Amino acid sequence: MLWPTLNDPVHDSQRLFRQLLSAMSEPGTLHTLEAPSPPGGELGPALWGTLLTLCDLDTRVWLAPELDGPALREALALHIGCRLTAKPADADFALVTPAVLAEAREFALGSDEYPERSTTLLVALDTLEPAGKWRLSGPGIADRRQLGLGDAAGPLMSRLVANRDRFPCGLDAILTCGPRLAALPRSTRIEEVA
Amino acid sequence: MNGYNFAYLDEQTKRMIRRALLKAVAIPGYQVPFGGREMPMPYGWGTGGMQLTAAILGADDVLKVIDQGADDTTNAVSIRAFFERVAGIETTTVTPAASVIQTRHRIPETPLEPGQILVFQVPIPEPLRFIEPSEQETRLMHALEEYGVMHVKLYEDIARHGHIATTYAYPVKVDGRYVMDPSPIPKFDNPKLDMSPALLLFGAGREKRLYAIPPYTHVESLDFEDHPFEIQRWEARCALCGSAESFLDEVITDDAGGRMFVCSDTDYCLTRRGELS
Repeated sequence: MLWPTLNDPVHDSQRLFRQLLSAMSEPGTLHTLEAPSPPGGELGPALWGTLLTLCDLDTRVWLAPELDGPALREALALHIGCRLTAKPADADFALVTPAVLAEAREFALGSDEYPERSTTLLVALDTLEPAGKWRLSGPGIADRRQLGLGDAAGPLMSRLVANRDRFPCGLDAILTCGPRLAALPRSTRIEEVA
Repeated sequence: MNGYNFAYLDEQTKRMIRRALLKAVAIPGYQVPFGGREMPMPYGWGTGGMQLTAAILGADDVLKVIDQGADDTTNAVSIRAFFERVAGIETTTVTPAASVIQTRHRIPETPLEPGQILVFQVPIPEPLRFIEPSEQETRLMHALEEYGVMHVKLYEDIARHGHIATTYAYPVKVDGRYVMDPSPIPKFDNPKLDMSPALLLFGAGREKRLYAIPPYTHVESLDFEDHPFEIQRWEARCALCGSAESFLDEVITDDAGGRMFVCSDTDYCLTRRGELS
């Protein structure tokens, strides 16, 4: 079955980008993306919409083994034309689940001189709620914000908590669950509260 | 749209700028290099700001463009007309009515609101450039957070003039990490950068750099304990609207020494005079 793409590539991708920009500039805020839903259900509309909006032949994408498959590869080749890489350290974007981050995979963190040369994680989650045990502060957050990501998000969050020690190097994450999306850039201070 | 793609730039260029913008927002104050395109006007006229505006602009956006605070100067009028033509969008001069504001060297007097985006035109994005001409060196200085020379420059001002004489493009530190050039806005506008509810984006076309300050980010102007940062003050009020709070321009009115002070922000001034609803 053919994967869907944006009906109006120019205006749909602009609208989705503005939601991504808003999510990234106000970390932890939830956004609902109106994007086409791929068959299968591993990738929600928010994740697929993000790929369609940000990726093209200039980007290298790494696919986590549990999300990889011929249907996804065919859709990426047909609609996006991005290059795939087998090495996470070469990836501009990595399509992951939280469990993947429990493994010792080295994504690009950028360098002190060029911190932007880092991998952006595109994460498929089962839970993404505006309340929960992760407390956020930092740029884009007036006071504090909470985020609930479910128990499976542990390995992901321990990586993102570690961002602060390496700043300005680090990983930026776009978290998705179905049509919902939030972002956690490396500038965010993350605490686990009981 | 006269044979152009929506908002002039092609989609691949927009995606490149959009990816760079997301990184810029994630690393507040850091200058992200981007593949700047040629725009149909010379460098120095706001090509950087225009590329950013083109990359973020949507059909339902309302655009305001100001040049030194004024909506009716050549640069502002031309850029507004450009986007009306290539994007067919609505434009305005009213600050609260705009969703995207492109600015050359001012921040509007009317406080910005959450959800608004302010796009700055930047001539020279590197705050350390006049101290260290080598890009390689300044990049290393940012990497090592080696900003001592910036304070030396401000100290030299104090030694020579008795006070910090830098009045525009006054360097700031963003979220306690990167020293950043806020573009040549008067230092009067620097306090508006701190904890701004609006997203602030900066684009330098010739230098091909873009950077950002997310909303609600701490931005401090560099200073010394015994010489704290201060903004300009005037003895006069605006001769047209009577404002004592806004940034004033001195206007020469004749050849006999006549002069008056008026608001640099035309929308603010006209609104106060009741000439705009």
